[in-house]
Amino acid sequence: MMVSMRFSLFLFTISSALAQDAGATRADWPHYGGTHFSWRYSALDQINTANVKAITPVWMFQTGDYADNLQATPIVVDGVMYLITARARVFALDAATGREIWRYQYPDPPRSVPGFVGNRGVAVGDGKVFFGTKDDSMVALDQRSGRLLWRVNLDDARQCGCNITAAPLVVKDKVIVGGTGGDGAHRGYITALNTKNGRLAWRWYVIPGPGEKGHETWKGDSWIFGGGSPWLTGSFDPGLNLVYWGTGNAAADFYDGDRVAAGADKSKDVNLYTASVVALDADTGKLRWHYQEVPDDLWDYDSAYEVLLIDREFRGRMRQALVHMNKSGLTSVLDRGTGEFLGSFSVPEVRNWISGVTEDGKLVGRNEPKLGQTISICPSAAGAKSWNSMAYSPRTGFLYVPANEICNDITPNNRGPEEGRNYMNAEFPVKLPAGRTTYSHVDAWDPVTGKRAWSMPYKYLLLASMLATAGDLVFTGNPEGEFFALDAKTGNKLWRYQTGAGNRGSAVSYAVNGRQYIATPTGWHVSVVGAMAQSLFPDQDWRLGSTLVVFALPENSR
Amino acid sequence: MTRAILLLLAGTALAWPQDLADVLKQGEQVFAKSCATGYCHGVRGGPGGAPRLVGRHFDQTYISNVVTRGVPDTGMPSFAARLSRPELVAVVAYVATLNGIASPNVGPGGAASMLSSRPTLTGEAARGARLFMDAVRGFGRCSTCHEVGEIGTSVATPIAKVPPSAVELKALATPDVKTGTIDGESMPVLLLSEGKQGTVFYDLTSVPPVQRNVEPGSVKFTDRSNWRHSSVIQAYDDSELAAILTYLKAAIKL
Repeated sequence: MMVSMRFSLFLFTISSALAQDAGATRADWPHYGGTHFSWRYSALDQINTANVKAITPVWMFQTGDYADNLQATPIVVDGVMYLITARARVFALDAATGREIWRYQYPDPPRSVPGFVGNRGVAVGDGKVFFGTKDDSMVALDQRSGRLLWRVNLDDARQCGCNITAAPLVVKDKVIVGGTGGDGAHRGYITALNTKNGRLAWRWYVIPGPGEKGHETWKGDSWIFGGGSPWLTGSFDPGLNLVYWGTGNAAADFYDGDRVAAGADKSKDVNLYTASVVALDADTGKLRWHYQEVPDDLWDYDSAYEVLLIDREFRGRMRQALVHMNKSGLTSVLDRGTGEFLGSFSVPEVRNWISGVTEDGKLVGRNEPKLGQTISICPSAAGAKSWNSMAYSPRTGFLYVPANEICNDITPNNRGPEEGRNYMNAEFPVKLPAGRTTYSHVDAWDPVTGKRAWSMPYKYLLLASMLATAGDLVFTGNPEGEFFALDAKTGNKLWRYQTGAGNRGSAVSYAVNGRQYIATPTGWHVSVVGAMAQSLFPDQDWRLGSTLVVFALPENSR
Repeated sequence: MTRAILLLLAGTALAWPQDLADVLKQGEQVFAKSCATGYCHGVRGGPGGAPRLVGRHFDQTYISNVVTRGVPDTGMPSFAARLSRPELVAVVAYVATLNGIASPNVGPGGAASMLSSRPTLTGEAARGARLFMDAVRGFGRCSTCHEVGEIGTSVATPIAKVPPSAVELKALATPDVKTGTIDGESMPVLLLSEGKQGTVFYDLTSVPPVQRNVEPGSVKFTDRSNWRHSSVIQAYDDSELAAILTYLKAAIKL
């Protein structure tokens, strides 16, 4: 890695090719974000811009679990696909045929367990399949048989109001996972367990306790219920031995009177380490550096989203960088060794929460909700992008981003916290911005220049992840059920397929016996942002479901 | 909270119904705090992250059932243990008014009578309850291994007898803890079951305990262990332990 970095100063193409190796998947799709670098990019190019029109469904798998969206990213290792449903039913499937090899059903938690039903994926490693549950257990199954090996409870959902919906991340001999609950009175954390026996390796609390650095950025006892839950999946750089994770917003979401001292300087580091990207030592969980994207968040702008690790040249110097989008659509580019700010760009077309950002990344013109007032803020708490991931192609150098244009009317209140209960402290009904006919777009962004290369508008919202491939294709799906391929260089729509149910999952690509497959989860459901989306378009009836649809070129055409 | 306690007193010691307008006002407040939370139901029952509730022609019994039991496989939990009885009565009545029921029944024997209530603790017992489940203590809290009052993980069997003092709690005998040996590694364990499918036990080496499921016969047990209960309650001082014991005595009676 370091060698390639030095060469790269002289010969960009070589370093670029090597960087491609690190972040691209090949036959397998081993991790939530593809590789540990979270590009959601496959080096497979059998399916490409010239022949994508010919791809056709080759198998489908109906999970039978229609409790909520099929949101999981399928994991594929050695020709076997591992898929989890909303209610934590886990399947091992022959990735070439869809034949079920084994299945495991996690017992449904009692109804008294609060939270939303949903699961965004398993992790596979050390001969095991790992997943989290609504009742805050981490579970390990035998990869070959599906047999339960260990299970450990990390919290009580009835008390914390938190659940595990994110896919875990396997890093060396540990499995690492975050949790939800940061919109409630709860203190978020990341937990690492030993893959072998489930024993605790480390836990990192987003909010520093008494005596720890950063604790002073909280008023009084507000740190105890200050939120910050890291509710998605991080990344890992083996060369630096650092795990990267995005953290959630501070709680109460829309009112800071109880957590920020009057007159605090909001230019940096307020309510650490909420709304931040953090780099943790993979072995100890110790914080190496942080970068707070929204100091004193007042708009429910989590920084919980995916972290893409890319090596690119900035201002004439090759950098080991990372790209990270805050829920506001403000996207930071940082040096991933040090956290140094390299640049930022803002994705939504309709924005009024700030007026701008300085050259060194400071927010300008904060438009804050105030008690006793209702203000219209864009983008909304549903996000300029939701949890669904962007993708990165080293061939084009572009990030592929699904962006939404929604606003919300925020009326804050100052209710106090009750442990594990909602602590958003506002009414914030969503609404569509005036004067538009399209409310989302797939964009290609250049992370070095911060410029948008192309944009493909869409009428409704986009809540499915992006997949980029070396065939210069970008795949994603929409709520109307259409799964489609765009030309990665131009954004032109090259292919589409009506899957029959709304798309809210995360497509992957893999190969078995030399044949490339594109697999996408399908199935809408009316929970959380899905229902917010539905409420904006009441005449639409996006169809529920829970089916994996897998495409390939016809056997005789390869 | 004070208001909820006052209403609880009013509801038990005095008589229902009290002023309907007051109940509905409280219901609206409970709804705003616990139901219309942005990602769940919309403001005043309008569209939000969860289904619209206004104008759905729900009857009061149905609303009461859903609020107290939840809806399986959805985000709608049971609120039976999450809200006090008066809060439940009030929020059910409020949602009924959103569905055209102008005078919902809030008295005894009405739709509200099936609602369960949450026990109210005071003083030292309340302090003990907070300590028992104190999230600030991480995995060092009692509820990591004990479930009491619907909070915690039931690693240990339900607490049947409460030690009289912190000293006796620290000296607690734990005859159920054995030594398990698997792949040459010995560890303190709580055996749950031994069957043809596998042997299930808790590994108590560190907190939180890990439930393991191993091949039948692959783990050997001996009856003794060096594990001591005193080693896992070090997050508390004696005064805190005394408060927890007060809580446990009260909770076991409830």
